[in-house]
Amino acid sequence: MNRLFRPLYKPTLAILALAALALVGTPAYAQEANEYRQILGGDSRKVIWFLAQLHLFFAAFVLGVPLFAVIIEVVGWRNKDPKFDKLAHEFTSLLSVAYATTAALGGMLAFALFTLYPSFTGYLAGLFKDVMFLYALLFFAETFCLYLYYYGWHWMQGGEQFSKRLQWLFKGIGSAIIVFGLVFFFGGLGPEMRGDTRSFMTLLYILPPGIGFLILKDRKSVHIMIGILLNVAGTAIMQLANSWAGFMMSPAGVDQDGALTGSLWVAFENILATPIAMHRMLGNLAFGGLVAGAYAAVKFIGAQTPEEKAHYDWMGYISNFVAIAALIPLPFAGYYLGREVYSTSAVMGNNMMGGDFSWTFIIQAALVGSLFIITNYYLWSGMTRIPGAQRYYGYIKWILAALIISFAIWLTPHNLPLTGQEVGQMGGSQYHPTLKFMGLMPAKNAVVNLIILSTFFSFLLYRRGNKSDVLPISQQGRLPRIIIPLAGLAAVAMVGQYGLSLLNMDPAELDLPADRVQYFRTVGYLLLAECAVAVLAVILALKDRGKLAQGLYLGSTAFSVVIFLGVYGFVVMEKASPFLRNVAVSQFLQLISCLILVTAIDFFLFRDAKEIGKLQWGKISVRSQYALLALTFIITMNMGLMGFIRSGLRGDWHIFGVMRDTSPWSYTPSNYTMTQMVSLTVLVFMLGVAFMFWLGGIAAKKGPTEDQAAEAETDEP
Amino acid sequence: MTRSIGKVLLFLLLLLGAFLWMGQTITAMTGGEKKAASIVEITPEGGESIFWGKGRCFTCHSLGDQGSAVRCPNLGQFGEKFLMPIGERAAERAKERSEETGENYTATDYLVESLAVPSAYVVEGFKDEMAIVYAPPIALNLNEIKAVIAYLQSQGGELDLEAIENPSEISAKYYARIAAATAAGGGDPGAGLEVFDDNCAECHKVQDEGGDVGPDLNAISLKGLKFISESILRPAKKISKGYETWVVVNQEGRRTIGLKTRDTATEIDITKDNGEVVTISKADIKEIAIEEGRSIMPEDLIEAMTVKDFQDVQAYLMMQKGESE
Repeated sequence: MNRLFRPLYKPTLAILALAALALVGTPAYAQEANEYRQILGGDSRKVIWFLAQLHLFFAAFVLGVPLFAVIIEVVGWRNKDPKFDKLAHEFTSLLSVAYATTAALGGMLAFALFTLYPSFTGYLAGLFKDVMFLYALLFFAETFCLYLYYYGWHWMQGGEQFSKRLQWLFKGIGSAIIVFGLVFFFGGLGPEMRGDTRSFMTLLYILPPGIGFLILKDRKSVHIMIGILLNVAGTAIMQLANSWAGFMMSPAGVDQDGALTGSLWVAFENILATPIAMHRMLGNLAFGGLVAGAYAAVKFIGAQTPEEKAHYDWMGYISNFVAIAALIPLPFAGYYLGREVYSTSAVMGNNMMGGDFSWTFIIQAALVGSLFIITNYYLWSGMTRIPGAQRYYGYIKWILAALIISFAIWLTPHNLPLTGQEVGQMGGSQYHPTLKFMGLMPAKNAVVNLIILSTFFSFLLYRRGNKSDVLPISQQGRLPRIIIPLAGLAAVAMVGQYGLSLLNMDPAELDLPADRVQYFRTVGYLLLAECAVAVLAVILALKDRGKLAQGLYLGSTAFSVVIFLGVYGFVVMEKASPFLRNVAVSQFLQLISCLILVTAIDFFLFRDAKEIGKLQWGKISVRSQYALLALTFIITMNMGLMGFIRSGLRGDWHIFGVMRDTSPWSYTPSNYTMTQMVSLTVLVFMLGVAFMFWLGGIAAKKGPTEDQAAEAETDEP
Repeated sequence: MTRSIGKVLLFLLLLLGAFLWMGQTITAMTGGEKKAASIVEITPEGGESIFWGKGRCFTCHSLGDQGSAVRCPNLGQFGEKFLMPIGERAAERAKERSEETGENYTATDYLVESLAVPSAYVVEGFKDEMAIVYAPPIALNLNEIKAVIAYLQSQGGELDLEAIENPSEISAKYYARIAAATAAGGGDPGAGLEVFDDNCAECHKVQDEGGDVGPDLNAISLKGLKFISESILRPAKKISKGYETWVVVNQEGRRTIGLKTRDTATEIDITKDNGEVVTISKADIKEIAIEEGRSIMPEDLIEAMTVKDFQDVQAYLMMQKGESE
C-alpha cells in the first residue's frame, strides 16, 4: 500500500502550496504599491519564467498522453486486439514519474510566485481563492484517477460481464447525462457564458462521462471510464489555470482597482480563458504524442533485435499520427485565439503580429515550417516499409519542392534590417523590389495553406501505399452513401454560408466605400463555385470515380486557396485592405472542407482493398527516428516561444489595465534572451524526461518480447 | 542504450544551437531590449523615441522606408498614394477638415485631432481601427502625445512648438479630452460612448439624447471621477436628489416601487426599473415612503462590463462637462 500512496506525496505538496496561497491572498493587494523581491539579487522574472515553462512542459505531457492513451485503449477493446491495449498501457507507464514531477514543479512555481511577486500573487490568489480550492480538489481527483488507471490496468481486465439490469442502469445514467449535456449546450442550464466555453464544457466534461456510462458492461469498460474521468479532471485543471492566465490578459468582473464587482464566474470566464484552453488542448495532444514518439525513437535507435525495432517503429508511427491529427487543426485554433486577442485589445493584437513580436513570429514560422517538412520526411521514410509504395515515390520530389518554396516564402520578412550601404545598393529602399511581396500577408496565407495541403497529400500517398484492387464504393453498402454526402454537406455548409455572407456584406461594415463591394462579390462567387465542385466530387465518388473526385476537389481547392486568392489578396490589400481578413477566413474554410471531404472519400476508396504486401515494421532508416526526435525538440521550443509571446503581449501590465508591472524587469526581452531561456528550459525538460523514461525502464525490467513484436504486425498504414 | 542517448543529446544540442543562433542573429539585426525613458521632452527627438518605442505607432504605421507596417497609412513620402510626408500632408488635411467642419483647422490641430479622436478622419482605403494611445495598454500622457506631434510636424512640415504648447481652441478641446481620459484611468471616450449606449442610455440622457428615468448626465464630470465610479459600482450609495426610490402601497396592499416622475394634486406617476410608468390615484394610496439605501439603477450593471468597458465609460462621462458639442 505504501508503494501505491508514495506517488501522492509530491502532488500533496503542490496542493498545500496552492492552498497556502489561497489562504493568504486578498484582492486588496491590487490597491497597494507592488512589492517585488529577489533571490540573491537575481532576475526574479527569469526565475518565474524558467519554473513556469518547465512546469508547463511537464503538465502538457501529463495532460496530453492520457487523451490518446484512452482512445487507443478503446480501439483495442472494441476490436478485441490486445496489441493496442498494451500500447496504451506503455504510453500510460510514461506518466507515473512525470506526474509527480509536474506537481512538484507546480508547488515550486507557487512558492516562487508568492515569495518573489507577493503583491501580484496575493491579489490573484485572493480573487480566485474559490477556484484555487476547486483546483486543489480536482488535483486529488486526477491523482487518484491516474494511479487507479495505471496500477489497475491488469486488475481490471477480463472477468464476466455485469448483469443486464446493471448494464441498463448504466445506460440510463449515461443517457441522462447526455440529455443533460445537450440541454446545457443549448443554454438551458448553467450561468450565462460564451458559446465557446459552453461547447468546450459540453464536449469535454459532460458528453465523455455520458458515453462512458453507455459502454459500461465489464471490468475493462470500468477501466476505460476511469481513463475518461482522468481526462475530465486533467482538462478541468488546465481550464482553471488557464482562466488565471486569461484573466491577466483580459480581466473581467473587476473594477479598475481590481475589486470584484460581481460574481467570480465573470472573472473566471474572461474573454481569452476558453480560446487559450482550446489552443492548449490541441497543443498538449500534439506535444504528448511527440514526446511519446521521442521515447519510441530512442528505444528504436538503441534496439538490439528486429522484434524490438518493429515494436518501437510501430509505437513511433502511432505517436506521430496522433501528433499530426492535432497539428493540422492547431493553426486554426491559434487563428481563433489571435482573433480574440485582437478583440480584447487591438494594440495587443498589433503588437503581436507587427510590433515587438513580429520577428519572434519569423522564428516561430521557421519552427512550424520545420515541423511540417520533417513530418513529411517521416511519412516518406515510412513508405519504404510499405510494399508497393514505390509507385508513389515520383510525387515526393514535387511535394518537397512545394514545401521548400512555401517555407522560403513564409520566412521572408517584408522589410529587411539592412545597413545604410546595403540600402543604397538596393536603390535606397529597405524593401527588396521582388521579395517585398513575399513578406506580405497574401503570400503568407497562400503558402501556409499549401504547406498543409502538401502534408495532407503525403498522408494520402502513405495510406494507399500497399493498396491495389479496390472495392468499388457502390458495392460497400449504405454506409458510404451516408458518410460521403454528409461530409459533402458539411463542406458545402461551411464554405457556402460564408460565401453567401460575403455576397450580402455591406462595405460600410469595414469602413470601405460602396464601390468596393466588387471585391466581396468576387470571393463570394469563388466560394459558391467551390461548393459546386464539392457536390460534383460527392457524385463522382458515389459513382466509383473516387480518385477523380479527390483529384478534382484537391486541385480546385489548391487553385482557389493558393493561386487565385494568393494573387487576388494583393489586389484586395491595395484596394480594400480591411477585407483581407475575410479572404484569409475564406481560404481556411475551403481548406478545412477539402480535408474533411477528401478524407471521407479516401476512407471508402481503400476500404477492404487488396494489399500488395504486409507492412514491414522496423524496416525504416535510423534517420527517420531522428526526424521524430527533431519534431519533439522543435515543438517543445515552439511551445516555449509561444508562451513568451502570449505572456509578453501584456506589456508592462501584470493584469492588463488593472495592475501595472512596476518591477525593474518591466520591458520586453530581446529574441536572443527568449531563445536562451527557452533553450535552457527545453534542455532541462529533455534531460528530466530522459531520466524519467530510464527510471520507467528499470521498473519495467524487461523490454518488449517477441510477442509484442508480433503484435506490431498490423497491415494498416 | 547509453550510446544512443548520447547521440540523441548531441542532436538536441545541435538544434538548440541553431535556435540560439537565430535568436542572436535577429537581435543583432533588429536591436535588443527597448526600455522606455521615464521622462520625455516635447521635441521631435522625444517624439521619435515614443513613435518607435512606447507609443507602438510603428506597429501600424511606417514612415517612408522606415518600418514595415502596412495596416495604417504610411506617414512618410511613399509610393503614389502618399506623395507628401505627414508634416506637409497635415496642412492639406487641415484644409479638408476646415471645409468639413466649418472650423479653422491648422496643421497642428489636424495632428492633435488624429491622436485624440482617430475616427474623425479616416484615410480612404483604411479601416477605422487606430488605437486610443492615451488608453491602456499604451497609455501615453499628454506630454508624450505632444512630443509625438512635434515629431510628426518635423516630417516635412514646419515644427511649431508654440502651437503645441499654447493650443488653439480646437486643440485645447482635444487636450481636455485626453486629460479627462487620463484622469479616468486611461479609458477611451469613443468606445465609452458605445458602452454608454448599450448600458446606460435607456435611462440617462447626455447631450439631449437618452432616457428620462435617471438623472441627466450632461454635466456629470463636475461631480468628479470618484462620484461617477461609485455611482456605477454602488448605485444606492449616493442617490441624486429627486431620484430616490419610492415605495407606494395601495389600499389593496399592492406595492409599486420606482421613481416618482409626476406628482399632481390627485395622482402620482411611478416609473419602475423596467421603464413602465404606473399612475396611482392619491386616494388609493395607503402608504408612501422613500426607501433608503435602494436605487432602481441595476446593481449588477458592472457585471456585464469588462475592465476596459468600465474605464471607457468613465472616460466618456468625464468628458461631459455640460457643454454641447
